[in-house]
Amino acid sequence: MSGPGATGEAAGAAVGGAAARPIPPRALGPEDFASAPRTDAVARSSRPSLSYWKDAWIRLRRNRQATISLLIICGLVLFTVVGPALWRIDPNRPELSRISEPPRWDTRAEVLAEPPPFGETVLADVPPSLTADGAMLPSPASLELIGRATVESVRLRWAPVPGAAGYLVYRSTSRPGGDYLGLPMGEVAAGNVVSFEDAFNLEPRTYWYSVVATNGAESHAAATIEVTLTPGISLVDAKVIDPTAKPGDFVSRPLRPFGTDFLGRDVLARLMSGARVSLFIGFAAPLVYTLLGILLGGIAGYFGGKVDHWVMRFTDFVLALPFLLFMILFKVAFGSGPGESGIGPMLVAMIVLAWTGAARLTRGQVLQLREQEFVQASRLLGARPTYLILRHLLPNTLGVILVSLTFAIPSAIFAEAFLSFIGMGVAPPTASWGSMCNDGIKTFLVYPHEFLFPAAAISVTVLAFNLLGDGLRDALDPRMRSVE
Amino acid sequence: MLAYTLKRLLAGVVTVVFIATATFAAMHAVPGDPLTSGKARSAEIRANLKARYGLDQPVLVQYGVFLKNMAKGDFGISFTQQNRSVNDIIREHFPISATLGVLSLLFATLGGIVLGSVTARFRGRWADRSTLFFVVLGISVPGFVFAALAQFGVLALNRSAGTTVLPVAGWGGFRFMLLPALTLGLGTLAFLTRLMRSSLLEIVNQDYVRTARAKGLPPWRIFLAHQLRNGILPVVTLLGPALAAITTGGFVVESVFAIPGLGRYFVQAVQQLDYTVIMGLTVFYGAFLVVMVIAVDIVYGFVDPRIRVATEEQ
Amino acid sequence: MSLLALRDLHVEFSTYGGVVKAVRGVSLEVERGRTLAVVGESGCGKSVTFQAAMGLIPSPPGRVTHGSVRFDGQELVGATVTALNRVRGKDVGMIFQDPMTCLNPTMKVGRQITEALRFHEGLSTGTARARAIELLERVRIPEAGMRVDHYPFQFSGGMRQRVMIAMAIACRPKLLVADEPTTALDVTVQAQILDLLRDLQREAGMAIVLITHDLGVVAQMADEVAVMYGGQIVERGTVDDVFYRSAHPYTLGLKQAMPSDAEGPRARLEPIEGSPPDLFSPPPGCAYFDRCPWAMKACGPELPPLWPVQPGHAARCWLHHEAATPRRPPALFRGTLMPGSAA
Repeated sequence: MSGPGATGEAAGAAVGGAAARPIPPRALGPEDFASAPRTDAVARSSRPSLSYWKDAWIRLRRNRQATISLLIICGLVLFTVVGPALWRIDPNRPELSRISEPPRWDTRAEVLAEPPPFGETVLADVPPSLTADGAMLPSPASLELIGRATVESVRLRWAPVPGAAGYLVYRSTSRPGGDYLGLPMGEVAAGNVVSFEDAFNLEPRTYWYSVVATNGAESHAAATIEVTLTPGISLVDAKVIDPTAKPGDFVSRPLRPFGTDFLGRDVLARLMSGARVSLFIGFAAPLVYTLLGILLGGIAGYFGGKVDHWVMRFTDFVLALPFLLFMILFKVAFGSGPGESGIGPMLVAMIVLAWTGAARLTRGQVLQLREQEFVQASRLLGARPTYLILRHLLPNTLGVILVSLTFAIPSAIFAEAFLSFIGMGVAPPTASWGSMCNDGIKTFLVYPHEFLFPAAAISVTVLAFNLLGDGLRDALDPRMRSVE
Repeated sequence: MLAYTLKRLLAGVVTVVFIATATFAAMHAVPGDPLTSGKARSAEIRANLKARYGLDQPVLVQYGVFLKNMAKGDFGISFTQQNRSVNDIIREHFPISATLGVLSLLFATLGGIVLGSVTARFRGRWADRSTLFFVVLGISVPGFVFAALAQFGVLALNRSAGTTVLPVAGWGGFRFMLLPALTLGLGTLAFLTRLMRSSLLEIVNQDYVRTARAKGLPPWRIFLAHQLRNGILPVVTLLGPALAAITTGGFVVESVFAIPGLGRYFVQAVQQLDYTVIMGLTVFYGAFLVVMVIAVDIVYGFVDPRIRVATEEQ
Repeated sequence: MSLLALRDLHVEFSTYGGVVKAVRGVSLEVERGRTLAVVGESGCGKSVTFQAAMGLIPSPPGRVTHGSVRFDGQELVGATVTALNRVRGKDVGMIFQDPMTCLNPTMKVGRQITEALRFHEGLSTGTARARAIELLERVRIPEAGMRVDHYPFQFSGGMRQRVMIAMAIACRPKLLVADEPTTALDVTVQAQILDLLRDLQREAGMAIVLITHDLGVVAQMADEVAVMYGGQIVERGTVDDVFYRSAHPYTLGLKQAMPSDAEGPRARLEPIEGSPPDLFSPPPGCAYFDRCPWAMKACGPELPPLWPVQPGHAARCWLHHEAATPRRPPALFRGTLMPGSAA
């Protein structure tokens, strides 16, 4: 075999004008110069060809992001369809004894003894209000707990500060630093009252309580104590589950793996039922309005002329309506009576407003295709309109439309979330991810799980659809073949 | 160019009339008489409103009255806040929203152009991939999630710093605008980054870029003189939709950050079913966006000589 | 020393479907002031060869895998962009096929023409503008003073190609690479552009590489001709050698596929049957094997060398081997250097 280098040298020498005779790399005999059979060559020069869709599928599968997204979407559909059958908890049933519980896997709870009535510790030997001379006060000494700190109550006691007119108590969920001591929990308005009970929204976690003596001056040193609360359930609530429960016993409560919301409803169950709403709107609305758009755009593009002119003029006007603004307006206009979920009006509003994109896309494609040679040839051969549309126009627009549909799904989910978030979406108690976010954001800083779970659900879903759409577009766009 | 502008303006007026008509039709479809829904307080006010809007007249007359009022720039009086006209509300709250919107649009556009250029330049490399990941994230995460996370982050920052580095909510000086503007612009930034990147990648393979390379120009010069100018064109055309996205995004961000802008006010009006405010603000927002789209079109005409010269020659 | 010398140039493109071996060992020289025409059908690698030589193929996916390109003695393969830019635009001007897409749509033509001047020669804006007008006049664009401020879309196709030429010759290059300069133009405009190129060559004494698939253009313009097929040069020589003493079956095929006066109005055009080789997996032997009417057993597995048939004229064909003498068709030029003819 002659390497390319060898022939190159030969060529250079030859063109240089020298009469050197090229030497074949191996001695060729007369039999090599017999005429060649011509059949075996043809097969070699053609590579196996793949159909458009098969090729696209292979490319989509090679795209790791798109494949993972596809799996996530499948998982999501399972979560929505099969989930409620496995996790049979009513998403709308409030449980007022379990409001805003963070996610926990441990279902056992200790029955806490009813704490004895709290009596303030009043020191008789200290005068209630000392002369407020504006001097800086030291921090209260020997700050300590009274009894057990449980989720039912935390009781604090400290030594009186001479000169104090009262005390302020702060609670923080992180170690206080600088000026910040946490939420002000209460004020004791007498210098000789040296105890405090906190029973406000306690969670089984560690708090830092700070006590500051006051006398009217601006800021004083704080005493801080770290308190870890014992988790548990009050005797009253425990008796609902087990009438024989005694303090110190453990009772088992239903699992709330994702915690509960501000009405004590199960977040996981609400996520599942919310997914139904979000995904229903996410799939149904784009499907319907894309079909509507294809129909109108196809008619405009296929018939052209006056029909095209008026359909597209109308499209332009609808397109000029600011989408979310009119979604809100239509929602208000359609209203939703008591007991209705509000999904229907949202769906209708979205369909009325969003078909324009698909219409313009289809029209453009059809206009372009109509003029192409293979369509003209087919028409020349006597193809009827239905045949032309089904055989030539539709298959060739399908890829582009499929991609636009994939991108329409996340934007519909987005629109639903947006509307529900500003309170214009589904009506309570129906859950959707957007309305859950709306409920959750009010207490986000205290109970982040109520907001984060639905927010993550929306984000992951939309992310998956966007990545799938990207993959699909790359896979269906023949221009992408040359890249990578 | 003048004729072109006038033509666009005329089309804009027609579009605004259409928006007003759609608004009227939508609000007219509201079940029941808006005045009997307990929003209008006294019988006297009710009678006044009836007379003002011709509510006892046939629909067409009402429509005429509505259009006339809109044409005069009179958007009516709030149902829930007595003695406060929609015009007052716009005057008071719109500048706040506009300030916020301009800031975030600037952030989104400049950021989008810069990031898009960087990702296109380092295509397939680490800088590209990581930026693209955040871009897809930016497109996929709703604005209110960013807003909430930003608030949470600033709160944690303030706490660990011991002072107020940035205010968590409210409205005041530039310090108050920073966080909401960034949050509001993030989605648009991501969107424009992607657009800029794909536009530049398309241009890299254009014949005229090869021509420029054949002229022996250094890469930075080719980028500035040939790629950037042509690459920005699609970004300019989509400034209209970007503005619409920022406007409606403002509803959420203003609510979360407790900013007294028009968007927050609109959301409140919607929640309280304050019909005149809803109608007035919808038409106002619609007209505003139409005007902005026209402005973008005219700007585009200046950026793209093909349109400018073609219209001048007509 | 030749002005431009390619030695065994190999260019590959990595694509989704595999690696395309677009150029497979091309060697040629361009002499000062002469015109070399590179002929071949679409996809034979003729454009890629010269774009790769000037470092203009997009990389990735394209890359030069082997070989050398010397311009005026300076090696260009593996040269830095800065070094390449000292040659490109200054010593080598290039014109591309489609004048519609080769001009920046948003930049005035005057600026585009003088870009290279301002960069390579550091001209001021005012001087550059005057030079742009002068150049537009040289490529015979009327009202050059006004046209200099126009945008490309305001020009017709032929006018745009003139603008391209003005751009390419702005720095008085020693070599002009014209890649299908007339393919996208009307026939009458084609002739004008070719005239213009010839005149410019005479005035400036520059060498021209004319890449084309149009044998008519070749006959009008070329001094030397290189015929390319399947990423290789299959025949090269002077224009007379290649046209009247064709020594490769592919050249013969091309000629038969071209209308000519000599054979009269009723002569049939003979198309070349089959299609060019798949450059994803190029055949080991002769690239023309599948389509050659005189293919022999050796042609499939063995790559023929570029066989000198007379001084300065060579063809890559086994038919010139002495053992193949009986198979040689009469239409094929036998050559004076051939052992068969000597015997």
